[in-house]
Amino acid sequence: MSEGVDVRAEMLRGAQSLAVAAPSTKARGITSDLSIDEALLLHSAGWEPVDLVCGVSVVSIPYGVWNWGQGEIVSASTAHNAAVEGAAEQLRDECRKAKGYGVVGVRVEVEVRTHHVDVELVGTAVRPVEGSKVTPPATPFVSDLSARDFTLLKSAGWMPVGLAFGASFVYAPRRTAGAVLQQKTQNVELTNFTEAMYSARESAMERMQHSALAVGAQGVVQVKVTEGPMTFARHAVGFTAWGTSVRLEAGEHKFIAPQVILPLDDAVVTFSAQSLRGE
Amino acid sequence: MSEVLPEAAQRRLSSSAFSSGLTVPDFAACLDLGLQPVGLVQGFCVMRWGWYGAGSGFSRGISPYAMGNQNSDAYSETYRCPHGFVSNEHRMWGQNIEQPWVEDAWHQGYDAAYARMLDEATALSAHGVIGVVDRITHLAESQTTEFHFLGTAVVVGDGPPPAGGIPWTTYLAGQRLTKSIEAGFMPIAVVASLASVRVWAYCMTEYLMEGGRTWGGPTNSQEVDQVSRAHMAVRQLARKRVRQQLHGDALHGAQLQVDKRELSAGDEVIDCTLRGNRMRRFKDFDVVPAPRPTVRLS
Repeated sequence: MSEGVDVRAEMLRGAQSLAVAAPSTKARGITSDLSIDEALLLHSAGWEPVDLVCGVSVVSIPYGVWNWGQGEIVSASTAHNAAVEGAAEQLRDECRKAKGYGVVGVRVEVEVRTHHVDVELVGTAVRPVEGSKVTPPATPFVSDLSARDFTLLKSAGWMPVGLAFGASFVYAPRRTAGAVLQQKTQNVELTNFTEAMYSARESAMERMQHSALAVGAQGVVQVKVTEGPMTFARHAVGFTAWGTSVRLEAGEHKFIAPQVILPLDDAVVTFSAQSLRGE
Repeated sequence: MSEVLPEAAQRRLSSSAFSSGLTVPDFAACLDLGLQPVGLVQGFCVMRWGWYGAGSGFSRGISPYAMGNQNSDAYSETYRCPHGFVSNEHRMWGQNIEQPWVEDAWHQGYDAAYARMLDEATALSAHGVIGVVDRITHLAESQTTEFHFLGTAVVVGDGPPPAGGIPWTTYLAGQRLTKSIEAGFMPIAVVASLASVRVWAYCMTEYLMEGGRTWGGPTNSQEVDQVSRAHMAVRQLARKRVRQQLHGDALHGAQLQVDKRELSAGDEVIDCTLRGNRMRRFKDFDVVPAPRPTVRLS
């Protein structure tokens, strides 16, 4: 709440505005999944939400690719990367139609199944407050940063340029019969799985970095990774990495010089009111 | 608001003591805004869903000859097999089809529960309902869904009632509501919509979702166009339906939720629910001061 604002008077003003019927309008209202905090923060940086946008892509994985083999499971890796790119393109397309400059707060949901990869991206298209008077860019940016992080990034002179993504699936090679017998009574590292994981990691990270470079980014922030054996093919390991690729827009990085604060409330003893809503 | 409140509800609501579902901080913020809580209001509706499978009266619309949905406003796409006749089991056609009968039934339950909550708020002469919680749960008996609305009815001190006497509603309460008002957004109503699309896979979709190496299916990965388009369509429909309820106002804090039921390879029912706060600007926006970055030492 801002200081000096009479919120009661504002509430009364709001109630009075609803006491009369609203004039009919054909204007297209904005839609956004941002919280009110995020919307206000975005406004403080000179940006505004435009529309809730989505992208979905389902890409098939051919039969038999998960059977035991050697090296990378190329079909699965290709399907994964194609599904992400397909969903991102649909998201950008919806953003363009809404005359947005980019999409923030993108929620990334990926499901890898035996025969298909499903990718869903949902976010809010945004534009500068004066953006409606300017032609939006041909390629809107896509970012999984929250509106808060987007604002902070901008204030430091950087801009998101795209969603960087990389995935790789690799077979864990069979151990030899001798190794199996020898390790049966030992606590030992399964080097085949470790090496497969390293291999998948390197390929996925490299692809992610390549996808960032392809859109002219200088780096990737807020990288998330998922890794581990596939539930339906335990002799295969998967590694995915994604984040927001960023580029320095200002001449140089702007130091934000945060103010150090020491809260006086005790973080240990807190009062938690249980409401009827079960919170 | 055609329904009369139960006698017990009328007695409870006429009590001089108010009830509220607000947390203590939200309650304090509510008073600070000049809102007086007058009662915890609720609305319920339990719906039983019919059988939509083959042979039911509800499986209408899916037909290779109808070329889609008989309701011209509803979404549908038809897909044709490129192979010609192969066998009786071969899926020679497929369709993505919107299911208006499911959407209508969902809205019947949702809207009835919402209207019943508003009935209670109106009986209390409330101007608005804040901190609305809507729960949609499946009861123990299958095919049965309960719609439940709960919120705190409030009166704006010295304020006029809304036009038409219908209370405004919002999911927001406490500081978030205060910030919305301060930013110049007045809540109008909670809005929600469900879109439902049934995917009846044709041969190529079926092959691809099963691995795609039979009947001339591709050996490489490729987009499963029918399913991708159905997923996009259901999300677009939900947004379109909600937009129709906005009448030019804004939707804030939207929540998009998708439920998918896989019936067999490629055959799916996709339901998409979108809900959020319909807000109207009542004053020019005052840009909040640029935030000052801080670092906590604890």
